[in-house]
Amino acid sequence: MDQNSKPRSVLQSLGEEIIRIIVPVSLCMFLVVILVTVLNTSSSTSVTSIATMAYSETDSDSSWNKFKGALLNALVFVAVVTAVTFILVLLFYLRLTKFLKLYMGFSACLVLGFMGGEIALFLIDNFSVPVDCVTFAVVLFNFTVVGVLAVFMSKMAILITQGYLVIIGVLVAYWFTLLPEWTTWVLLVAMALYDLAAVLLPGGPLKLLVELAMSRDEDIPALVYEARPVTYDDSGLRSGVAQRRLWRERRAVGSNSGENLNSGSNTNSNVGSVLDSNPTPGTVLSVGSGQHATSLVNVEEGRVVGGDTELSVPLIDRRLNVQVNVREEAMSSDSLALEGIGLGSSGAIKLGLGDFIFYSVLVGRAAMYDFMTVYACYLAIIAGLGITLMLLALYQKALPALPVSVLLGVLFYFLTRFFLEVFVVQCSLNLLMF
Amino acid sequence: MTVAAGIGYALLALGPSLSLFVAVISKKPFLILTVLSSTLLWLISLIVLSGVWRAFLPLKSTAWWPFAILIITSVGFQEGLRILFWKVYKRLEDLLDAFADRVSKPRLFLTDKMQIALAGGLGHGMAHAVFFCLSLLTPAFGPATFYVDSCSQLPFFLVSAIISLALVTIHTFSMVIAFNGYAEGNKVDQFFVPGVHLVAGMVTLANLASGGCIIGIPLLYFMAILTLMHCGKMVWRRLTEDRSRQGRS
Repeated sequence: MDQNSKPRSVLQSLGEEIIRIIVPVSLCMFLVVILVTVLNTSSSTSVTSIATMAYSETDSDSSWNKFKGALLNALVFVAVVTAVTFILVLLFYLRLTKFLKLYMGFSACLVLGFMGGEIALFLIDNFSVPVDCVTFAVVLFNFTVVGVLAVFMSKMAILITQGYLVIIGVLVAYWFTLLPEWTTWVLLVAMALYDLAAVLLPGGPLKLLVELAMSRDEDIPALVYEARPVTYDDSGLRSGVAQRRLWRERRAVGSNSGENLNSGSNTNSNVGSVLDSNPTPGTVLSVGSGQHATSLVNVEEGRVVGGDTELSVPLIDRRLNVQVNVREEAMSSDSLALEGIGLGSSGAIKLGLGDFIFYSVLVGRAAMYDFMTVYACYLAIIAGLGITLMLLALYQKALPALPVSVLLGVLFYFLTRFFLEVFVVQCSLNLLMF
Repeated sequence: MTVAAGIGYALLALGPSLSLFVAVISKKPFLILTVLSSTLLWLISLIVLSGVWRAFLPLKSTAWWPFAILIITSVGFQEGLRILFWKVYKRLEDLLDAFADRVSKPRLFLTDKMQIALAGGLGHGMAHAVFFCLSLLTPAFGPATFYVDSCSQLPFFLVSAIISLALVTIHTFSMVIAFNGYAEGNKVDQFFVPGVHLVAGMVTLANLASGGCIIGIPLLYFMAILTLMHCGKMVWRRLTEDRSRQGRS
C-alpha cells in the first residue's frame, strides 16, 4: 500500500454532484433573502402584472375573498404559461430554433437590463450610493451585454455563465416576491401542480418538448443551469478537483458508444470506439486498483466517458433529458426559462432556471414574515431537491423539480408559522433551551 | 444593537461550529449532506413537538413544573429520534461498504465513521443554534436591544447566544459518543448521552428564577466540558486501539 498517503476512502468524493447543484440554489435563495430584507418596504409596491390581472389584493378584503381572488390569479397565470409553452412546442416542432435562441437572448437582456437596473436603482436609493447616470448606464450596459453573451454562447467560462444564470434567477425571483401574499402562495402551489402535470401526463407540453428534443437529438434552447461535471482521478497526480475539460481529445481507455455505463465491473474493458488509444499514463490508470476513474467531456460529439460509473449518474441514450417550461416575467413580457431536472450530455445534473426562481420566491416570501420560516423553508426545499435527485437516479427520465420542494416548502412554512414559532419563542424568552 | 452586534451574537453561537464545518466537513460532500439531513431531522422533531404542545401554549403559569414537563418530553422525543438516526446510519454504512467494495476502494475507516457521527451531531447543534438563537436575532440588527427580567445583567441576545454555544457543543459531541456507544455496545456511553441532554435541559430551568442564570449558565458549561472531555477520551482510546490493531495485523 502507498506509504505516502492513505488510500482515499469512498467518502472523499461521494455526493459531489449533489453539492454542486445545492450550492448555487442556496446562493440564489440567500441573495433573494438579502434583497428582500434590505429593500423591504412596509407598504408593498403593488406590481400590476399578468399574475395580478384577475384580482388585485387589498388589505380590507376578507380571507375568503382573498383566497378566491388569489385562486383566480393563479389560474390565469397557469393558463397563460400553458399557452405559451404550447407555442414553444410548436415553434420547436417547426424547427425555428434560431428564433427561440434570439428570444432567449432578448429575454435575458430584458431581465438583466431592465429588472436589474430597477433593482440597482432601489439599492442606490436605499444606501445613498453616490454614482452618476453616465457611469451607471455604462456599467449596466456592459453587465447586460456580457450576460446575454454568457447565455447565448457556450464557450464562455463556465463560472461566468453559472453566475449570470444565478443573477437572472435572483432578479426574476425578487420581482415575483413583490406580488401580494395570498396570490404568491396559491401561485406557487398552482405552478407545482402544473409542473407535475406538464411533465408526467402524456399530453403535457413539457413531455412533448422533451420527446421532440430526444428524438431529434437536439438541445432545447432555454435557460438551464448545468452543474460542472465531476471528474474522478485516482492517480494522485491531480488534486482531484473537477475540471470541465473542453477541447481535449479523447484519451481514455474505455469509451462509451452509447450504451448505458452502469456496468459495475472494470470499465476499462468497455472498449467501444476507442480513438487513438494511448492511455496517457498516470492520468488514467490508478494505483493499485484495476479501475480508472476518469470521465472526459468530448465537446465535439457530446459523448461522455464515464469512469467511476457508480459515482456518476448513468446516461440515458447520451441525450439530454430536460424539460422546458416557460415563465412569464412580472413585467408582462415573456422570458424563456427552463424548468425541471435532468441529465446533461456530460452526465452533469441540469436544473432549469424556473426552479431556481420559484424556490427563491418561496424563501423570499418566507423572509417577509420572519427568519425562522426562512430556515425551515430552506431545509424543506433542499430536502425536496434531494428527494427529486434520488428519484431521478431511480427512474432515469426527466422529472419535475418543483412539486416536491414547493409542496414541502409551503407545508413547512405554515407549520413553522403557526406551531413552531410560538413554541420556540416561549421557550427562548424564558431562556429554556434543550 | 447594530449590524455588527447582530453578527457578533450570531458568531458567538455558531462560531466554533462554523470553523468545524469549514475545516472538517466542507472537504467531503457526503458530510455536508449528512449535516443537512440531520438538521432537517432536528427541525422535524421540533415541529412535531410544537404541534403536540401547541394546545397548551403559551404557558401562562409561572410555576416551573409545566416547563419541566415540556423539557422532559422534548428531550425524550429527541433521544428516541437519535436511536432512529442510528438505525438509518447502520443501514447507510452497509450500503457505503457494499459500494466501496464494488468500486474497489477501501471500506469506511474508523475516522470516516466518526466524521459522519460528528457531521450528524453538528447538524443537530446548528439546527438548535439557528432555531433557538439566530431566528430571534432579527431585532438585534436594529438600533436597540432587549433585556429579560430573569437575567437582567446581560442583553437577552447575548445570554441566548451563550446558552446556545454550550448546547451546540453538547449536541455535536454527544452524537459521536452515542454512535460509538451503540457500535461498541457500551452501556455507559449509551446512557451518558441522554443523561447529559436531560440534565442540560433541566439546568436551564434554573433560568426561570430571577437571577437564576448566574447558576444555570456555568452549570450548563460544566456539562458541555464534561461531554467534550468524555468524547475526547473515548476517541483517543478508539484510535489508539485501532492503530495498535492495524499495527499488529
